[in-house]
Amino acid sequence: MLKINNIEVFYHEVILALKGISLEVPTGGVVALLGANGAGKSTTLKAISGLLRHENGKVAQGSIEFLGERIDHRSAEEIARMGIVQVIEGRRVFEHLTVEQNLKVGAHLRGNGATIRNGLEAVYRYFPRLRERRNVVAGFISGGEQQMTVIGRALMTGPKLLLLDEPSMGLAPLLIKEIFEIITRLYQEEKISILLVEQNAKLALAVAQHAYVLESGRVVMDGPSEQLRENPDIRDFYLGLTDLGARKSFRAVKHYKRRKRWIT
Amino acid sequence: METFLQLIITGILVGSIYALVALGWTIIYKCSGVLNLAMGELTLLGAYVCLAFYTWGFPFPVALLATLVVGFVLGLLTERLFLRRMIGQPVLAVIMITAGLSFFFRAVVGFIWGTDTRVFTPQVFPTEPVRFGKMVLGQVYIWSFLAALVLLVIFVAFFQYSRWGLSMQATADDEMAALSLGVSAKRVYALAWAIAFMAAGVGGTLLGNINGLNISVGHLGILVLPAVVLGGLNSVPGAIVGGIVIGILQNLSGGYLEQLTPGGVKEIAPFVFMVIIMLFRPYGLWGWEKIERV
Repeated sequence: MLKINNIEVFYHEVILALKGISLEVPTGGVVALLGANGAGKSTTLKAISGLLRHENGKVAQGSIEFLGERIDHRSAEEIARMGIVQVIEGRRVFEHLTVEQNLKVGAHLRGNGATIRNGLEAVYRYFPRLRERRNVVAGFISGGEQQMTVIGRALMTGPKLLLLDEPSMGLAPLLIKEIFEIITRLYQEEKISILLVEQNAKLALAVAQHAYVLESGRVVMDGPSEQLRENPDIRDFYLGLTDLGARKSFRAVKHYKRRKRWIT
Repeated sequence: METFLQLIITGILVGSIYALVALGWTIIYKCSGVLNLAMGELTLLGAYVCLAFYTWGFPFPVALLATLVVGFVLGLLTERLFLRRMIGQPVLAVIMITAGLSFFFRAVVGFIWGTDTRVFTPQVFPTEPVRFGKMVLGQVYIWSFLAALVLLVIFVAFFQYSRWGLSMQATADDEMAALSLGVSAKRVYALAWAIAFMAAGVGGTLLGNINGLNISVGHLGILVLPAVVLGGLNSVPGAIVGGIVIGILQNLSGGYLEQLTPGGVKEIAPFVFMVIIMLFRPYGLWGWEKIERV
């Protein structure tokens, strides 16, 4: 469905953020992007959704194809119209609008009354809590509800591919669990493909079928989730487990040496 | 007592016109963060366009509608020609462009219509005053108030309920998030300018009906500043309340302080008021302070 072929991304014409990334999201699949801060995960998502341009970034080389069409030179609006929607990290609700108005803005491109009503119903079915809070100004609802609002808002666009950037950031464990259950239902019931960026590698590998590991702008490892879960490096760096399955002190890991082996 | 009431009510009636222009100003600031220094010239332009239609023999309501349409088109055109290329540039640069636009529009008005005071002839509204008890109100004030009110209601309803209105508010809140949902920021800016032109045009026309039309109607653009500062720069209801309060204030100071001074109190009172507000409530009545959840 989505195919990224060896893209390079520059910010402000000089800062090289992605140094040749290739990845693929199959139709109806969930793919996770793992990596430390600054590895280029969010930049990859922005390159796909076209938001990159508004941060003075540019896809300089390579191509991004969606359903067989090249989209790397299209505007964010055109890309959204094709059915790709990005949920930006950090729960960016429209603070001064109510929850329901937030959701309605999501339906901006599908401006017809009945579609909006059905869309709202569908979102409220997935997030019953939002129905109760629909007339509250979004700046004042809880963090979990804000995360639900931004995911719901993205669903209102009627997406084919959902780009989720750290949906678990700063939320309580129980809420994270709830949100990931809903994400799982989304691809099972609505057949939406998902590209998921997550710091919480354990959760991400549990939901996704396939994962890529990014490090300083390159893909250093990829494979099916089960395989990555068993990989000793992933277990060390992302899951915090030793081979025995016990928790491990990070002091004991010779961080830089192991990383060096990856980058080559 | 009657004088006081009379001053207050006239203040509200005139203030509604200020409210309309203030609303236009606020929309641009809210959506794009640009302080529009050309607002006064937009009112001029709109007022003269309406005058032109009226002198060509169209009935006044038709002329006013035509002004709205012309304003809409001019707004889109201005955004496309002068401001589109400035997207992503520092806001200060855009503000300087609006300063340039203000000189440009003023010159255009002077070039086409001259600088003499013009009046709407024949009189648009009957000159016979209306009496409520001991109060005497000019009909022109009442009709202007009604016209401004209708437009205000239409604009506010547009922001609250229509697709583009909501998208404009969303862009004002978080442009990146709005872009990610497929809202076109360019169209939002264009729409903001179109609405500002429309509001300003009608405001200028109504004021031109009251005082006669010349270049000084453009001072409305500066008078709007205290109104929006009082309301909080980016609040639509704030702009409306601010406009009305400034109208009342101007009338009261004119009525009570004018005889004590050599004159001109009416003109400066709003600005003195603005400075006082800035000291005590820099965010105005409903300006956005950042929402912090506790």
